[in-house]
Formats: sequence, C-alpha cells, structure tokens
Amino acid sequence: MTQRVSARPIASTRPSLRLRLQLGLAGRIGLAVALSMLCAAALIALSGHNPLTAFAAMASGAVGSRHQIGIALNRTTPYLISGAGVAMCFRAGIINIGAEGQIAVGGIGAAAVALAWPSGPPALLIVAALLGGALAGAAWAGVATAIHLGRRVHEVLATLLLNFVALLLVQQVLAGPLGQFGAGFLQSPLMPVSAWLPEWEGWDAHAGFLIAIVAAAALSFLLWRTGFGFALRVVGSSRPAAAYAGFSVPRLTWSAMGLAGALAGLAGGIEVLGVHHRLIEGFSLGFGFKAVTVALLGALEPLAIVPASLFVGLLEVGSQSMQRQIGVPSALVTVIEGLTMLFVLAATARRL
Amino acid sequence: MTDLLEMRGIVRCFGALRANDGVDFDVRPGQIVGLLGENGSGKSTLMKVLFGMIPADSGSIVFRGRPLVGHRPGNAMAAGIAMIHQHFMLVEAMSVVENVMLGWREAGRVLRRAAIANRVREASRRFGLDLDPNARIGDLPLGRRQRVEILKAILREAELLVLDEPTSNLAPSEVADLLTILRRLRGEGKGVVFITHKLPEVLEVCDEVVVLRAGRVAGRAAVAGVSRAQLAEMMVGRDITAPYTPNNRAPGAVRLAVQGLAAPGLAPLTFELRAGEILGVAGVDGNGQIELAESLAGLRPTRAGTLALDGREITRASVADRVRAGLAYMPADRGHTALVRTMSITDNLMLRDSDRPPYARGAFLTRRSGFAKARTLMSDFDIRAPDPGAVVARLSGGNQQKIVVARELDRAPAVLVAHQAAWGLDPGATRFVLDRVTALRDSGAAVLYISSELEEVLAISDRIAVLAGGGFAGVVARAAADLRQIGLWMSGRAA
Repeated sequence: MTQRVSARPIASTRPSLRLRLQLGLAGRIGLAVALSMLCAAALIALSGHNPLTAFAAMASGAVGSRHQIGIALNRTTPYLISGAGVAMCFRAGIINIGAEGQIAVGGIGAAAVALAWPSGPPALLIVAALLGGALAGAAWAGVATAIHLGRRVHEVLATLLLNFVALLLVQQVLAGPLGQFGAGFLQSPLMPVSAWLPEWEGWDAHAGFLIAIVAAAALSFLLWRTGFGFALRVVGSSRPAAAYAGFSVPRLTWSAMGLAGALAGLAGGIEVLGVHHRLIEGFSLGFGFKAVTVALLGALEPLAIVPASLFVGLLEVGSQSMQRQIGVPSALVTVIEGLTMLFVLAATARRL
Repeated sequence: MTDLLEMRGIVRCFGALRANDGVDFDVRPGQIVGLLGENGSGKSTLMKVLFGMIPADSGSIVFRGRPLVGHRPGNAMAAGIAMIHQHFMLVEAMSVVENVMLGWREAGRVLRRAAIANRVREASRRFGLDLDPNARIGDLPLGRRQRVEILKAILREAELLVLDEPTSNLAPSEVADLLTILRRLRGEGKGVVFITHKLPEVLEVCDEVVVLRAGRVAGRAAVAGVSRAQLAEMMVGRDITAPYTPNNRAPGAVRLAVQGLAAPGLAPLTFELRAGEILGVAGVDGNGQIELAESLAGLRPTRAGTLALDGREITRASVADRVRAGLAYMPADRGHTALVRTMSITDNLMLRDSDRPPYARGAFLTRRSGFAKARTLMSDFDIRAPDPGAVVARLSGGNQQKIVVARELDRAPAVLVAHQAAWGLDPGATRFVLDRVTALRDSGAAVLYISSELEEVLAISDRIAVLAGGGFAGVVARAAADLRQIGLWMSGRAA
C-alpha cells in the first residue's frame, strides 16, 4: 500500500573535481603555460619531429642572437601597448574587441602625419606622427563608443565590426591619397628618415618597446592609484554599485574606450614608424586579437601583460625560426597560443 | 477520508536562521488552504520543501497516503503536486498547446498535437479557463498565462496545486476569474494551497487559513468563523522583542521635504522628515519600496515632484551631488548595489567618497590614509575581519552590512534613507544597525527607515507610514499606532 516515491537521498556526495592546488595567481599561470607546452610537445611528436629538437630550435630562434631578441621585442611592442588598453577596458566591464581596427587606423594617422610633413625636425616629427596615430585610434574607438552608447548596440558587435571597416579603410587610403604610384601592391611611399623610430645599434630593436613599458606602467598606476581607476574597477565589478557610488557609466565608457583606442593607435603608429617605415596593406593583421590574448594572459593587469606579451612575441619569432630549421609548421604557434589562453583562463577564472 | 497532504514537524535551517521551525501543514481534498505570512515568515521555504526544491532537516511529508522522502521536483510532479510560481514558467514564443506538451511524456515521442489540443479544449471548457490552444503565449494577458499554468497542472493530473502569490500580477477582474476557477478546482476534489498576504481574497475563497510567523505556525483557523481584523492581528500581532524607546524630543526643523514625488510604480507622495525623527515605512515588499528609496537617492528618474534637503532643492541633483549635500542611502540590495563583493573592505568603505580625503587628494588615491581610516572605521563599527584588505564576499552578512552602515553614517549625513537595513541579519547585528540609526537620529539627522519587517519599524520609528500600491495607505505617530489598523493598511485596503 505504502509506496516510496523515491528513496534516493537528495544530498549530493559527488566528489569535487576542482583541483585544490595552493598556488598563487602567478603559479597557476605558470602551470597553465607549462601544460600548454606539454600539449604542444605532443603535437610536435605527432607531426613526426622530436619535441626537444623543435623547442631548442624555437629557443635559439627567439633569443639566439641580439638580432633575434630585437626582432622579438619589436614583435612584442604592439601587443603590449594595445593589450594594456584592452585590459583596462575589460576591467571596466567593456568588452573592447576593436584594437585590431584601432591599430590599423592608428597606422594611417601616423603615416599621414609623417608623409604630410616630410621636412619636420626628427624628434618633433616622430612625436607628431605618433600623436596622429593615437588620435586616429581614439577617434576610431570613439565611433564604436558612440554607436554603443547612442544606439545601445552591444560593444562587442560595434567594436568587432568596425575592425573590418578599418582594414578596408587602410586599403582605401593606400589606393588613393597615401598610396605609392606603380608599386605593384598596396603600400605608401617610404617615410622620411627623420620619422623613423631610433634603433639600438646591433640589436635591431626600435624604441617602441620602451614606450610600451612606460605605457603599461602608467596604465597600472592609473588603474590602482587614481580615483578614475577605482571608478573603472567598480563599474567593471557591478554597474548598480557604480551608479550608487555616483559614477557616470557613459562618461567612464567614453574615457576608457578613448584611452584604449589611443593606445592601440599608438601601437599602429609605432609599427609603421619603427618596423616598416611605410604604411603597408595588412601591416597589423591579427594584432588586435593578439592584444586580447595577452590582456587575458596577463590577468588584465597592465604590468603582468609585459611578460605575457613577451611570451607571445618570443613564441612567434622562435617558431618561425623553428619552421625554417626543422620544418615544423609555424601554424603550430597559433595552436600553442590558443591552448595557453584556454589553460590560463581555466586557471584564473572565478579566482575570488 | 484521509488528508491529501500531511506535513509534520518540518524544520529547515539556513545557517543560524530557522526558516521553518516545526511546521505542521495539512490539506484535504476539495479544500482551499490560505497560507499567510509576511516576507521571511517561511512560506516559500515550506513550499520549496514540499516540492522537493530543498530538503528538510527533519519532519515528514505524506501525500495521498504515501511518504515523500528525499524527493525532487520531478518526483513531486509525478506524485501529483503542481507548483504555480509567481513568475510563469512559459515559453512566450510558443502556443498554448506547445507549452502544455513541453516536457510532458503523454505528448508522445512524435507529438500528438491535435489530440493534445482537444484535451486542452475539453479541460478549458470544464474549468471555465477559456483558452484557445493555438494562441501564442506572448499575446496573452498575464491572467490567461496563469490559466495555462493551471491547465498544465490539471492535464498532468495534479491533485494538489500550490499557487504562490497568484494575484499579485493580476487586474481586479482577472482576480475574480481566478477565484472562480479555484472554486471549480475545489469542486473537482483538488486541494489548493493559496499563498498570499491579501486578506480580502483569503476571506473570499479559502476554507481554512494557516498563518506563519518567524518559521512557526502562528495561527490556524477556519475562515468561516474569522474576521479580517482577526486575520490581520494574527499576521502582524506579536511580542515586540525589541521594545520601542520613546523619543521625547520635539522634532526639529524640516530636513527633507518631499512634494508630489511620482515615478513609475510610485503614486505622488508628499511628506516631510524633520531633524531628530525616524519615519518608518512599513508594508509588504513590492508596494513601491524600491521606487521610493531609489527616487530619493537619485538612482531612478522621477515623473514629477520636488525634493529639498535642508531647504536646498535637489530634485535634479546627481547621485554624487546628493551625497555631498548630506543624503546617505543604504540600499536593500547588499550584494550588488551597496557593496562590491569582489573588492576589499577599504574599497567598499570609500565607494561613495573616493574623490575626497582621507581616501583621495585630487585625482590620486591616498592609500595609506585610506587604509588608516578603514582601520578606524572597522574598530568603531565593530567590523570583524583580519585587515582592511580583506575581500568583502568572504565576510558574514552582518559584517558586510556594518561596512555599509559605517560608510553612510561616518559622513554625518543630514538625511538617511535606509532600505531593509537589517535584512537577513541575526538579532545581534540587527540590534547594532537599529542602535546606530537611532544614534544618528539623536544627533539631529532625519531618517526614512523602509522595511517589510514590521517589528523593526515598530521598534525604531517615531512615526509610521504604510506603503501599499505605491502610495501611503496611512501615516500614524508611533504612540498612536494600532497594530490592527497597520495590518489592514498593509493588506491593501484602508478600513
């Protein structure tokens, strides 16, 4: 007569799957990087090469000579500058995926200034061109912000879609006002030498890396030591709390996006003035997405993005050399970067 | 005839809080039982235990002669219990018949749409639900959507229907229709649990009423022999554990003048707060409390009316300007508004003062003096944590609220708006909050103390207002307060 509907106890006795490792944040990130390298080693082995030889080739390619180190630092620079800006936006809860486009437009701005004022005195011309790049990047970020705030389009969409427009804009100006006649492909004329970023003798590294370090340190200070940074962090943690605290979310969004856009534009300008010495179609392809990668790898802390971007920069330069020396496809780098990011995110998510 | 449902000695604790403390609850077939009680009295907990959403710590449930042990919602539904939530669980883009078929085994692996639609029509006719099986849920008014939920319960052969605040979203005519439907269900021999705090409806439709208070059954009566006044007294009448200490000073000058303040969900309100006075705002949650608090704090746009603080107009002042003018605010939403849980104690203490000393000079944070200030506040307000850098989420609710109290009171505000300031706190922490608010009043500030806990309002207020339907149903001096009158005001209609 009496029939139990269910005798199963409700209390869950499922074992916890969570790793209980007593590691600091840095330790966990280190572990994540190590795990991703392990996966990479497995993939290299699967492609029929000895992982140890491959890693050795990669290491010598990245830090084997002063020239290689310089190239790696140059590669790191745009990732670090724009990544720091992206990190600041993410801290404020603004998912700015638009660094790609802001870098490209920054390159246009810097090239336009340098080509329009070929007689400018060396130091002044560099400053003016970089400023032009930063302003162009900020303006491009401003377009996305206006669309986001004015029409309530999600910022991911607004920033992401404008990237494609920006890349086409580079082609457009290279096919028109900034283009070199009869070059065969889309590029601008070479810039006056007075606009080239200074380089270290023998290292082939330009001054951009120093600018990047200063920018990251300044952003870190802004984030942790100023009222503006505090407001950004509150907005990113809780919008109702930010409104309660009396912070204006739109005003903070404008500032954060403008600043991040300026930094991305600066990165574009540095790439043009420091590496190519001219504007070239596709000069910044993928940089903006690398910026997101390094921002997340660096746990959204501008100073931690310095090692994160160095890691990515060294990895890329090293793997190109690995491909040349032993024939492991350098596309593997993309895989390693993706794996690293996944591991790091898994290691740092919900770290409260 | 045995009972349909017998719940015996149900105990359920959340930490130190005994949400259900030995509750007995019975429903017979063909009976509508009203379950009354204020917010936090344990109504929802009891029903969640019944439905298997949370396990009971002790006690037994017997449904249709069979014990329900360690069950989950799926088991409860299969056994014949249906829960109709305040917010409907329907897919708006789908039709009535599609919603009925959703997750229902009898709809068939290949959906038997036509057959089910016929059963919908048949049941709809029998119970007077007046539902078109092909109507899209999104096109139906709320009253009809509720009927879809009832229809789902009927078709799944539920013998017991639990309706959680079923009339709170309905227009008066829809309420009348719902009560008719409930009577038909009773006529078919179904049991109905009707959770509400609206006394007129209870009197109209229920056979029996059970009143919960602080997790215990405070009263149980057949509706036939009880008056509305008696019900109101059962609901709110109690020992006042925190006795009121009369405030002998005469109120001073007007500190906050509110003139015709209106906002969505808030009828035009006019009142004054004087120096050295606490105006307690009682009432059931959802009657304009959050609208009132946020309109005063500047967090919500208003439609009309003016606000003046110490004679200075602040109707259009920003949140930050209101803080500077001397308006303090303790929001009810502690986790997301009043505090940033992922940040440190210092960060939270400076949340609304981050642009001035001791936390900042100009644009720059002065971390050392901010830290020192935080240490002082932690000892002054008894915030127990290892150091000011501790993350707020790790603190107890009482310590979290003390951070809010410390931040808002340390500014020595002219006016304090406190909303559910002691919500979820243990008696000690509640006492602490009430004492600090009283001390602020004694120092010459004016306080608006909004709470759905009548006990707190009675303990602390010099005047009591009751919010109902977005307006003040009545305002009365504490000394002249009559519990029965307040209960009637709270239950929606003036006597």
